[in-house]
Amino acid sequence: MIAIEGVRVTYRRTVALHSIDLLLLPGVTGLFGPNGSGKSTLLRVLAGLLRPGGGTVTWDGVPITAADEAFRARVGYAGHGSGLYDRLSVRENLELFGALHGVGAARVEEMLELVGLRDRGGLPAGELSAGLKRRAAVARALLHEPQLLLLDEPYANLDDDGAGKVSDAIKAWRAPGRVGLVATHGARRVKGYADGSIILQHGRIISYRVRTPAEAPT
Amino acid sequence: MSAVPAPGARGWAGKTLLLARKDLVIEVRGRDTLPPMLVFSLAVTLLLAFTLPDTSRPSARVVLPVGTASVADVLAGFLWVTVLFAGLVGFARSFEVERHEGAIDALLLVPLDRSGLYLAKAMTNLAFIVAVELFLFPVFAVLFPIGLGAGVVAVVVLVDVGFVAIGTLFAALAAQTRSRELMLPVLAFPVLVPVFIAAVELTSDLFLGRPTGVVVGAGWFGILVAFDLIYAVVGALAFEYVIE
Repeated sequence: MIAIEGVRVTYRRTVALHSIDLLLLPGVTGLFGPNGSGKSTLLRVLAGLLRPGGGTVTWDGVPITAADEAFRARVGYAGHGSGLYDRLSVRENLELFGALHGVGAARVEEMLELVGLRDRGGLPAGELSAGLKRRAAVARALLHEPQLLLLDEPYANLDDDGAGKVSDAIKAWRAPGRVGLVATHGARRVKGYADGSIILQHGRIISYRVRTPAEAPT
Repeated sequence: MSAVPAPGARGWAGKTLLLARKDLVIEVRGRDTLPPMLVFSLAVTLLLAFTLPDTSRPSARVVLPVGTASVADVLAGFLWVTVLFAGLVGFARSFEVERHEGAIDALLLVPLDRSGLYLAKAMTNLAFIVAVELFLFPVFAVLFPIGLGAGVVAVVVLVDVGFVAIGTLFAALAAQTRSRELMLPVLAFPVLVPVFIAAVELTSDLFLGRPTGVVVGAGWFGILVAFDLIYAVVGALAFEYVIE
């Protein structure tokens, strides 16, 4: 369980997050909101990549910080960029991050298969279309089966087939105790499997809803 | 050349080597960094060869606007200025590959101590500098009457350690600014001055034919060693704060 208490982030004079309070429960939660609502900022704070100007973020009572190596081993994050090296092939990128996370080649192949990139694994990441890069980025974030998954616009530039594969990969990752937060404009794609939803507007949470057992996702 | 030689569990050293290897593989495939460094070095050296008057005697005096200096002083000065600028050209690009597509975020979230990230990048930068020197020094030796003995090699090793240690740190800092190619020299020059003054003094003495033992025993050698130690420790400790 992740507890966010009074988290405030400002960029110069712009307030990105206004004293957010949130209890993030295990399961996948959709994070929705218009551009500039603070979705990406909240994800970066949760990944420990951005230190908030105020407030605390704890995971099972332990403060979250990217300086903590044990925390880093348990978080999977895909931001706006793909996080891939253009001159390495998709497979080499996943093998690299797999090796850094202590994951073997079999898992790399499994992830390539899951996001539908096995045939294109040998292509340099720089030669992929924006949509295929997105899929590869999701595969990289899921590679080490993180306990905390943070995806920023994983459906950007994806066609229906690609979006379906990304959704399948996220559903396959879901397991008891794991916490996932998926920020997207395409609420339709996430609502099919999300356990809850958060709506951000102007850096404030205007809605936080957790599905009841009767509404359980498929 | 594969970016990941063999899968499996790796410790700190293994992951560090893996990241350094990744940078070298990317450079081999893209050739984005080393060619500009080599071209710059060659251009400066050729310009110098056509500009300097008679350089056949290293001890001959050359009149400068601020006084006189020996040919050996001038050659040593130009040699190290070339290494300094070529190095900064390379260092300024060293974090470009991480910035592109936000790979730096993915890298900051791998379970590896920040010192590993620093050392991997420093090793890559060292490889680039050594490649430039392996090209530059023989060209210098062909064009000018200088000897490249064990003493010069020792000075080169010491300069490289200090240069790479602090250059990598400031490259990480400059990479987070908009005008990073301009910021790196501004940040690094003042700090690197002692290393390069020591390098010029020592190399000049060696070019004049002074015995290596005498040169090594001189104060500049100790200064170079001291700055190397300080820069290596500061670089490794400060990198964590700079990169985050």
